[in-house]
Amino acid sequence: MMEMLENLPTMDMMRSEPMQLARIIIPIESAHRTVSYLGDLGLFQFKDLNSDKSPFQRTFATQIKRCGEMARKLRFFKDQMMKAGLLSSTRSAYGSEISLDELEVKLGELESELIEMNANTEKLQRAYNELLEYKLVLQKAGDFFHHAQNSATAQQREFEEHRLVEGSMDSPLLLEQEMTTDITKHVKLGYVSGLVPRDKSMAFERILFRTTRGNVFLKQNVVEEPVIDPVQGEKVEKNVFIIFYSGERAKNKVLKICDAFGANRYPFTDDIGKRYQIITEVSGKISELKTTIEVGTLHWSTVVQAIANQFEQWNNLVKKEKSIYHTLNALSFDVTKKCLVAEGWHPVFATIQIQKALQRATSDSNSQVGSIFEVLHAKESPPTYFHTNKFTSAFQEIVDAYGVAKYQEANPGLYTIVTFPFLFAVMFGDWGHGICLLLATLFLILREKKYSSQKLGDIMEMAFGGRYVIFMMAIFSIYTGFIYNEFFSVPFEIFGRSAYDCRDSSCSDATTIGMIKVRDTYPFGVDPMWHGTRSELPFLNSLKMKMSILLGVAQMNLGIILSYFNAKFFKNDLNIRYQFIPQMIFLNSLFGYLSLLIIVKWCTGSQADLYHVMIYMFLSPTDDLGDNQLFWGQKYFQILLLLAALVAVPWMLIPKPLLLKKQHEERHQGLAYAPLHSLDENIESDFSDKPHGEHEEFEFSEVLVHQLIHTIEFVLGSVSNTASYLRLWALSLAHSELSSVFYEKVLLLAWGFNNVIVLIIGIIVFVFATVGVLLVMETLSAFLHALRLHWVEFQNKFYEGDGYKFIPFSFVSIGEEDDN
Amino acid sequence: MGFVVTTLVFAAIGILASLCARICCNKGPSANLFHLTLVITATVCCWLMWAIVYLAQMNPLIVPILSEGE
Repeated sequence: MMEMLENLPTMDMMRSEPMQLARIIIPIESAHRTVSYLGDLGLFQFKDLNSDKSPFQRTFATQIKRCGEMARKLRFFKDQMMKAGLLSSTRSAYGSEISLDELEVKLGELESELIEMNANTEKLQRAYNELLEYKLVLQKAGDFFHHAQNSATAQQREFEEHRLVEGSMDSPLLLEQEMTTDITKHVKLGYVSGLVPRDKSMAFERILFRTTRGNVFLKQNVVEEPVIDPVQGEKVEKNVFIIFYSGERAKNKVLKICDAFGANRYPFTDDIGKRYQIITEVSGKISELKTTIEVGTLHWSTVVQAIANQFEQWNNLVKKEKSIYHTLNALSFDVTKKCLVAEGWHPVFATIQIQKALQRATSDSNSQVGSIFEVLHAKESPPTYFHTNKFTSAFQEIVDAYGVAKYQEANPGLYTIVTFPFLFAVMFGDWGHGICLLLATLFLILREKKYSSQKLGDIMEMAFGGRYVIFMMAIFSIYTGFIYNEFFSVPFEIFGRSAYDCRDSSCSDATTIGMIKVRDTYPFGVDPMWHGTRSELPFLNSLKMKMSILLGVAQMNLGIILSYFNAKFFKNDLNIRYQFIPQMIFLNSLFGYLSLLIIVKWCTGSQADLYHVMIYMFLSPTDDLGDNQLFWGQKYFQILLLLAALVAVPWMLIPKPLLLKKQHEERHQGLAYAPLHSLDENIESDFSDKPHGEHEEFEFSEVLVHQLIHTIEFVLGSVSNTASYLRLWALSLAHSELSSVFYEKVLLLAWGFNNVIVLIIGIIVFVFATVGVLLVMETLSAFLHALRLHWVEFQNKFYEGDGYKFIPFSFVSIGEEDDN
Repeated sequence: MGFVVTTLVFAAIGILASLCARICCNKGPSANLFHLTLVITATVCCWLMWAIVYLAQMNPLIVPILSEGE
């Protein structure tokens, strides 16, 4: 049996692919091409050999700056494209191959052209708006000019009379001069006309009044339609105004206030004839400008359209080149300065492909010397790589979200593919809901090709990424739905007749004592007779709680067995003898025994109280079991198990640290006589950054405390983890209760009214409640709890998860990461 | 149909499913072992679920008591 297990071929996702560290020496002329081909292959992870240099000290910093400039120009183009409302055509292969230098020149030209066009358009647009405003002022102000002028003149005359009468003492000299002039002389008023924004017009008027001490006359009139303001370029509601003033000081004040309020001033003539002439002139100029602007805009949109056709291709090229230069920066120059040295990880199976890519690059770049590929011996731990396809990648991501597997340790992702949807389904069991989930996910799966190239929103992205997980979840839910016999909480008698029937033909005591079991057990799932009875909950609770314990103990045992396979693979005998065996003994003597009792109780139909049995096994193990006895010799068997569990605890705790200490001492005694390192190894240790493998420190107290924590965690955890599996019962109960409430209190209630409208409203409420609460919330809830059961209760039995992921240099991943 | 018979039925379905997986996706020994593991795990999970529910109903301690007005 053991030999058969050892001779099995390796399983696909069980452990990380074997990885090896390689060094490639590339001549400079083929360096760019080599990196490009390796990027296409996507199976080599470059190590950064220049990590102590800052980004500016690196060799190819200028190239990266160039690419950055080009990327900036491309972003500018993208803005222009968005302004024009164009989308870049997705992945068009339009256009020939273009080199980076040519592209740089072209981008520069296009950018300056676009900037110039934009500036011109702006200038023209501004002039156009100003002319429009001027025309408005001419038209509107003409309406009320004369009336306003008369009122202004009258007011001014009044004002002057008042001033003369008061005999102001501020400026006696001036006053004397003015007094000589005739009061009735025609008052000379200056005027200013323009447009002011409506929301500022009140403040405008007030401040004018205050600063000029009421010595101006303002007449405003509204403009019905909003006008495009030349400065801001947006539509603003404005008023036409005319201000009459007298004197230089007042004029200056008025002008300054107009500027402060952003009121645009336009010259206005009294003469009607001249005014009409100016209006026609202005109209002519307006239409001229309009055509010019339209032509300009058309030219701009053709340029932008041409850019849009090639945008995607250029964008990809720039991104690719930037990433190539980043990678080239990570390589170091060798002593002769004629070659670049690259170090990196790759999976062993990819060796031949990598060598082929290197040869192709050499021949394509017409280089004299080929690249040298050599395998290095690695001191540090390799990255972890699992070969996943579109189906398994989602499950592997779920496991990786908790922690990436250490190199070559057992991968829980393998079992997660089945156990995760299964545990979800235990909490979700309803084949009606399962079918709804299945339809939803089939829709996503059938439209795979279309959706994988589109940009989806955040939530859709997650749902689409997990479509195969949801598919598995739906299928298992249909299965557990048949087992729990729930179709939107309604049971069906599909697999045969119910086992229960009335005691006598009158069924008189069906509601008091209940039915009895007259036929064979219902062959598949929960008997349909149970639904709606008074004793349904006690029965189902008992069933589901025991089921949770059984499933939990099974999964935890699987976890511990995986830790055995880990220990065997890493040839860690200590772990097998002093960790795996006592752990198995402890878990199974307590909770494995409980599972056994559950099964025996079900098989024999005994009325034994299992709580009592388990508790008194600890409190008073030597007592007689009495009515709670399930099998012969139970008392002695229990005492044996208790002793075994008690022995297992120090077995887990003490031997391992002591033996580790002994091992360390043995190794240290031998090290004094270690053979001299060969020359090669010395050079290698110069190359690698940090010498790894300094196991020289061994603190016994640290190891002992570590083992103590591990033991306590396991012992206490075994109780808490087993109880944690009861959430399978809790969520399953919640789901079936919610489902039954929605069915009975919404659908049946609506049916009972015998009214079509009430029925339709009832159906709509039922559908919304089912989709919102049961299909969305319950799915997320069960997903989360199944995930927790995997991450904590299953994985803490064997998983270390402190590795790092293999991230190869690949153009595919770069295309995805910049898309934001 | 009885406990043992149905268990044998589950085992037969499991073997059939693994044969189907071998026939339609035969991608080398490591992939085959992977598919076999998945099929066996799924079969065991499903059987476990069914067996638990069946055993619980074989010798019931509580019986259905209908509620009023049924």
